[in-house]
Amino acid sequence: MNKKIIWGFGAIAALGVSMLIAGQAVPKAGLPVLTTSAGQSTDVTTLNIVLEEAAIGYDYCDVPTPEILADGVGLGGRKSANTGFYAESTTDLAKYPAGTQFKTIIFAIGASLKGMGASGLTLDSEEARLKKVIELCKQKKIFVMAVHIGGESKRGPAGSDNERMIDAVAPLADYIVVTKDSNKDGRFTKIAAAKKIPLTEIEYALGLVDIVKQVLQ
Amino acid sequence: MNAKRLIAMAGTLVLAVLLAGHLSTAGGSGTSDAFDAVIAGEGCTSILVGKDASTDGSVMATHTCDCGTCDWTWRHVPAADHKPGSTRKIYHVSQYKTWPPSEGLKWDVYKKDFAGLEIPQVPHTYAYHHAMFGYMNEKQVAIGESTIGCQRKMQNPTPAAKLDLTMLTLLGIERAATAREAIQVMGSLAEKYGYGFHDDGEMLAVADPKEAWIFEICPVGPLWTPESGKPGAVWCAQRVPDDHVSVCPNESRIGEINLDNKDFFMASPNVVSLAVEMGFYDPQSGKPFNWKKAYSPVNGSAASTNGRIQRLWRFFDIVAPSQKLKPETPNMDLPFSVKPDAKVSVQDVMAMTRDRSYGTPFDPVLGIRGGPFKNPNYYRQTRVIDHGLAEYSTITQSRAGLPDPIGGIVWIAFGSQDTSCYMPLYAGMTEVPKSFMVGDHWTFSRDSVRWAFDYTDFHVQVVYSEAIKDVQAAQAKYETELVARIPEIDQQALALYKKKPAEAAKFLTGFGINNATTVTNAWWKLGDDLLVKYNRLYLYNAEKRGMVRGQPATPEWWKKAARAFDILMEPDKK
Repeated sequence: MNKKIIWGFGAIAALGVSMLIAGQAVPKAGLPVLTTSAGQSTDVTTLNIVLEEAAIGYDYCDVPTPEILADGVGLGGRKSANTGFYAESTTDLAKYPAGTQFKTIIFAIGASLKGMGASGLTLDSEEARLKKVIELCKQKKIFVMAVHIGGESKRGPAGSDNERMIDAVAPLADYIVVTKDSNKDGRFTKIAAAKKIPLTEIEYALGLVDIVKQVLQ
Repeated sequence: MNAKRLIAMAGTLVLAVLLAGHLSTAGGSGTSDAFDAVIAGEGCTSILVGKDASTDGSVMATHTCDCGTCDWTWRHVPAADHKPGSTRKIYHVSQYKTWPPSEGLKWDVYKKDFAGLEIPQVPHTYAYHHAMFGYMNEKQVAIGESTIGCQRKMQNPTPAAKLDLTMLTLLGIERAATAREAIQVMGSLAEKYGYGFHDDGEMLAVADPKEAWIFEICPVGPLWTPESGKPGAVWCAQRVPDDHVSVCPNESRIGEINLDNKDFFMASPNVVSLAVEMGFYDPQSGKPFNWKKAYSPVNGSAASTNGRIQRLWRFFDIVAPSQKLKPETPNMDLPFSVKPDAKVSVQDVMAMTRDRSYGTPFDPVLGIRGGPFKNPNYYRQTRVIDHGLAEYSTITQSRAGLPDPIGGIVWIAFGSQDTSCYMPLYAGMTEVPKSFMVGDHWTFSRDSVRWAFDYTDFHVQVVYSEAIKDVQAAQAKYETELVARIPEIDQQALALYKKKPAEAAKFLTGFGINNATTVTNAWWKLGDDLLVKYNRLYLYNAEKRGMVRGQPATPEWWKKAARAFDILMEPDKK
């Protein structure tokens, strides 16, 4: 058997595994949910609009720390400030009073140097922040959902800012949702297969509306 | 604490408060606005002049490309014929994205960001000059730009939106022979293929020899899909009356609209329905639909924001002081356009792009703000038209009565307008100067025109109030005199054009490149001269080979302010 055939079988096997994973049912997590960004791109705005379209209340913080996450619904009463910090809560407080621990956190992956600059972050500090936040999620069993809806041209080449954000979040997620053109090179499929993470591909951001309904309700 | 110290302290406190921007003369926070709007407060300024508002009958549109980190390189794209069935590839072009020189120049490598869309090509595309946007084509269709922002829910950074603003302007200018056509081309393509991705609410000044239009466009939200059958953009355009002037300083300018008046308004079919659908307009309110209030609202005035949004008021203050518009008037209530007190020339417009609001309550060198040498760049809390951040500024002139290749001119000044020099590129030029095609912010290059102007600008900063006079003398020589020579250049080109248009194109190309080379060389030398003249903060006279100590003199008021500050900072004596 020559190398080409071995590589061919390998590729088919990898594809099969990824398809199996991609075909898995959408996992259930539940509310309350915190939305945030990994990389500070505007894709998190899209994520928030998706939740609004799905009529799901949420808390949003652009740069949550473990302390903010630990404060639960209402984000400890923190307010947006002119320093590039955004905090917002539309969570139904009758069902989930202030301080209730989040059951789910959704990261919109997408690096924007402009966004990070506005938040006073660098790539390194953003990576470090994400690491700490995800560590706390694992401790508290908060479901981590990673979405990438920025498409191919926002992916960037290997080693790019965006790729570093993917590496910081996707392999540690409990569920990954990506638009097809964000996954043209199969990068998310490979991560999902290697880490046995359910993955769903969608055509447009609109496809995320039904998914968040299933995951969160 | 003695009386002297108390007085010093009081004086310094007043200065400190002024510096901090707590008085109405400067500073303050940016424009806040209705809950969810995203406003672009620090971008470009675009001025429009109708044909009957200009001294020479030209229609003008400007763009101060205020960025600070963007690409400044220019390209000429020749006209082309296309076979039936051919396609035009669409690329995502970010206004802000640049590549390191080792990877190539922006307009050589931007095609790496293919948007995954090819649209049917038209049989013929026009020649044009472009940089960050398409600026002037061979039919004298011209464009200027200013970002206006939009309601947050409208942003669409998803790849479903195939068209960014830069790409739209390239398509508009390569396909349109009139301003109205350009608006229809850009609007309809945005509706069909989706608008947004890198951009959100944007304004374009679209001009031709007859008309000037303000075209505003916004995305329709991230959940739009091409299969929805709905427009992927919402847009509206309003014509500036021929005898009026207008401006867009990062704020939407179109208010109530009358689509029955087709000579003055155009819009996408969803212009009102989208606002209703998204909850930005209630038809039952009894109020007429208002474009800017629905899609890109801005609260505040020049005064209430301490000068943060004073450009709109300031422009009208410059062109129509007789109207006595007040800086306290909310910007949303200022007029769409005004008839200027006097017709404006291209040089008047150049001066407007250089405006720093001197002598107004928002003067950036008021008090001690500018330091001892009145440098307007020290105090940037007040947002003036010339903010010192421009990659380049353009003034397009579309002139009836001349063949298009001669009638169209785009004047370009690289770097900060106050220390730069406007150079003309005629629409009929078949190439742009090589020095216009290279360079970036992070690598100094003597091959790049932009660095010549930054070189002078840098040497002006040290002793601004003195060195700017040297720059103004150079501007008088290389800009004012050239403006005066334009009718002569026109006539020479016209004579050639009548014999053979291609000869006129060669002449105009040679003239434009030669002039740009002359001016660029002059600015390199000016930078050298300023370095020598104001070396070590003394005054060196190269001709007399002498040096004057104590000149340029530090003003007495500055010395007093420094002493007052010293006293304030002294530790208390026990």
